Amino acid sequence: MMNNSNGMISAPSSSSSPAANPQSPGIKTYFKTPEGKYKLHYEKTHSSGLLHYAHGKTVTQVTLAQLKERAAPTTPTATSSGYSASSGFRSATARLLGTGNGSRALSFGGGNGGSKSMSTSSRISGSFTASNSSTSMTNTNFDGKGTYLVFNVSDAIFICDLNSQDKDPVKSIHFSNSNPMCHAFDPDAKDGHDLLIGLNSGDVYTVSLRQQLQDVSKKLVGPLHYNKDGSVNNNRCTSISWVPGGDGAFVVAHADGNLYVYEKNKDGATDSTFPAIRDPTQFSVDKAKYSKSNPVARWHICQGSINSIAFSNDGAHLATVGRDGYLRIFDFATQKLVCGGKSYYGALLCCSWSMDGKYILTGGEDDLVQVWSMEDRKVVAWGEGHNSWVSGVAFDSYWSSPNSDGSGEHVMYRFGSVGQDTQLLLWDLEMDEIVVPLRRAPGGSPTYSTGSQSAHWDNVIPMGTLQPAPCKRDVPKLSPIIAHRVHTEPLSGLMFTQESVVTACREGHLKIWTRPSESEIQSNSCSEANPTSSLLSTSFPPKITKPH
Amino acid sequence: MGAAGSKLEKALGDQFPEGERYFGFENFGNTCYCNSVLQALYFCVPFREQLLEYYTSNKSVADAEENLMTCLADLFSQISSQKKKTGVIAPKRFVQRLKKQNELFRSYMHQDAHEFLNYLLNEVVDILEKEAKATKTEHETSSSSSPEKIPNGLKVPQANGVHKEPIVTWVHNIFQGILTNETRCLRCETVTARDETFLDLSLDIEQNSSITSCLKNFSSTETLHAEDKFFCDKCCSLQEAQKRMKIKKPPHILVIHLKRFKYIEQLGRYKKLSYRVVFPLELKLSNTVEPYADIEYSLFAVVVHVGSGPNHGHYVSLVKSHNHWLFFDDENVEMIEESAVQTFFGSSQEYSSNTDHGYILFYESLGPTK
Repeated sequence: MMNNSNGMISAPSSSSSPAANPQSPGIKTYFKTPEGKYKLHYEKTHSSGLLHYAHGKTVTQVTLAQLKERAAPTTPTATSSGYSASSGFRSATARLLGTGNGSRALSFGGGNGGSKSMSTSSRISGSFTASNSSTSMTNTNFDGKGTYLVFNVSDAIFICDLNSQDKDPVKSIHFSNSNPMCHAFDPDAKDGHDLLIGLNSGDVYTVSLRQQLQDVSKKLVGPLHYNKDGSVNNNRCTSISWVPGGDGAFVVAHADGNLYVYEKNKDGATDSTFPAIRDPTQFSVDKAKYSKSNPVARWHICQGSINSIAFSNDGAHLATVGRDGYLRIFDFATQKLVCGGKSYYGALLCCSWSMDGKYILTGGEDDLVQVWSMEDRKVVAWGEGHNSWVSGVAFDSYWSSPNSDGSGEHVMYRFGSVGQDTQLLLWDLEMDEIVVPLRRAPGGSPTYSTGSQSAHWDNVIPMGTLQPAPCKRDVPKLSPIIAHRVHTEPLSGLMFTQESVVTACREGHLKIWTRPSESEIQSNSCSEANPTSSLLSTSFPPKITKPH
Repeated sequence: MGAAGSKLEKALGDQFPEGERYFGFENFGNTCYCNSVLQALYFCVPFREQLLEYYTSNKSVADAEENLMTCLADLFSQISSQKKKTGVIAPKRFVQRLKKQNELFRSYMHQDAHEFLNYLLNEVVDILEKEAKATKTEHETSSSSSPEKIPNGLKVPQANGVHKEPIVTWVHNIFQGILTNETRCLRCETVTARDETFLDLSLDIEQNSSITSCLKNFSSTETLHAEDKFFCDKCCSLQEAQKRMKIKKPPHILVIHLKRFKYIEQLGRYKKLSYRVVFPLELKLSNTVEPYADIEYSLFAVVVHVGSGPNHGHYVSLVKSHNHWLFFDDENVEMIEESAVQTFFGSSQEYSSNTDHGYILFYESLGPTK
């Protein structure tokens, strides 16, 4: 049943691949999807000399950081006309016209900051205009725009150039006091402090990414320091995020179930004090006692750790998942719980929003990928396919259905998940197919004639309530369209960029998989009648199994 | 030892649970396999309660005739009646009895904790059954309500067709589950189901997997063909068939044994698999028969094997008691963070400095399993 669960079984990897990895025997350097082949393009890792005693105790997280042109920032709309970042999918028409889509083929145009050669850029089309192309090759001091991967390993933060073939980071920052655990980047930060870093000690820093890149030392340069020595909360920072459109506000989640709201333009020197938590089992929000201090508010969310937080794109909603297995969705402005629900069992480890804010993915210790609907305020699908805990989930906002007609009627989502089983899974979700058949006419369906079990689908969920774990038979199941073992170590992170899929393992190795080229997609669309025929042996038809 | 005890007391402070005792066990030379399992059983509350109840009601009898169960009951009672809250106890009488009774455990060799647990539970069952039979013959005609009878529908049919009522002891009530082995003849589609009972589940493990996945594999469908055909009673011949194992009745306490010691034919010996197998603190079984589908279990003890090989090493245990996690290493008892349980999952690389691996997991049902 498992094809390659044992790391020692060596599946012959494609010999033609220039990116074969001697460190990952038996791992194929490509995987096939209905739309074509994803190929391993680059790998990134930390300097191998770093085998600190604390190594293994931290789990690597990855942040994508796009630096814009320094002077006179240009609007990104000029670069990719055919695609709207907020729609979540693009129309096929736009793609066929080729507007801004040549970039999707292979747009790696050498390094930012002029570090690397152009040898890999032979396939770049002339119309390539992606925002992350390097226009200032001569610029060696990171003044221009560029796309970077920020990741933490042990006591250090590493920064890699996404578009360079260089495996080693361009920058490492070591922390003497504690290990960095989480980070976040805001490309639109106004005063230059765009990178957030949360530490094991609870300390939080904001810095300028560009300033770090330009500095040659291994120290953090020009940071603003909050929650110094854990003075407000000395529990581990687990997740950190800028508030979208929040004018420099950011939030930090801690391992004790508390989340703090900071305002960036406020001094962090004044320690905040908060009233004692009245009832640790209840959600509560408290303002800091002094208006001048930072953080400005404490949200007590749950007992046990908050494992991950995510803002919807518009900043209206904040999702949290934690040790208690609950997904919670808050209205950030009104500080009210909108909805939420429990995992099938065990803690939830990760969460992510769809671009349109309609769905949230979660992954956790029940090996399931959950799809939560904001409209229904409940779980609408379970993705079954991981053989271990699900540690990273993300919608592919750059993907559009090959057979979408552009009318928006046939809404389909592509998302991915990574797990501690070392696998990357890709999934297709067609909402009209999944939700509609489940709505029963009043009076009962032939499948569920009696019993309260089916209440999951009948009840209108009131605002502000948390749902218990659903029964197994009530939730429709999804199967992945592909399952690919991408690393030898358990995975910890997944991201989709316009040109690639980025996977990260716990130990701090990153892989960048390029999407199928445009020509491949078009030739593939002829054989789309039977998309499963070209898949890997571990693949399943992209069918939704309705509850029996 | 006293200092260590007070350290634990200090760590717990006024959160020290009322009436609870945390005592380490002295090691009599490679008896850590025994110590680690005994700690897990002591903190298996229904087992402890039943055994102490047995001890109180059979005190006079126990004095007359010593067996492994009376020795265990004696040890548990000794712990629970300690004046001090923490300390060290020497399970001398129990270990002596164990060695006297079974030559397997007599040597000073490293022993397998799972084998010991299995032996101990079966031994206790035997003793209880013998006693129950004795009581039964005494009250042959009277309508005795004890021992309990297995409710209808769960009768295990005997080979000779005679329905002998199996005796159900409190050990069965705590640990026993029923597996059903369903075989479907691929020719006539007839499903033959055979039930068997279990006190623990031994699962094959794979690198970078979860307990959920191991359980799924345990119940995955297997096709019997070629040399391995199934004799179908209806077809009266050997046929290809599909076989799968499901849990018909989940136990109240689910004991999961990870098969970390695997016989490697080429080597002609056992090898330890250090695979990383994650186990959640809460678990539901995916391979049950309705209506037991969504019963939730909570992890309360882990027996950990420390070391790289099967023939040497050490055993320790992690125990959850009153929402605190404790680490028992022979005479030492420490409090640990819940998150520290993760450090016993195993290693994703074959050669690793991490050799502390979860070996036997104890889950308690949070819902009705009866």
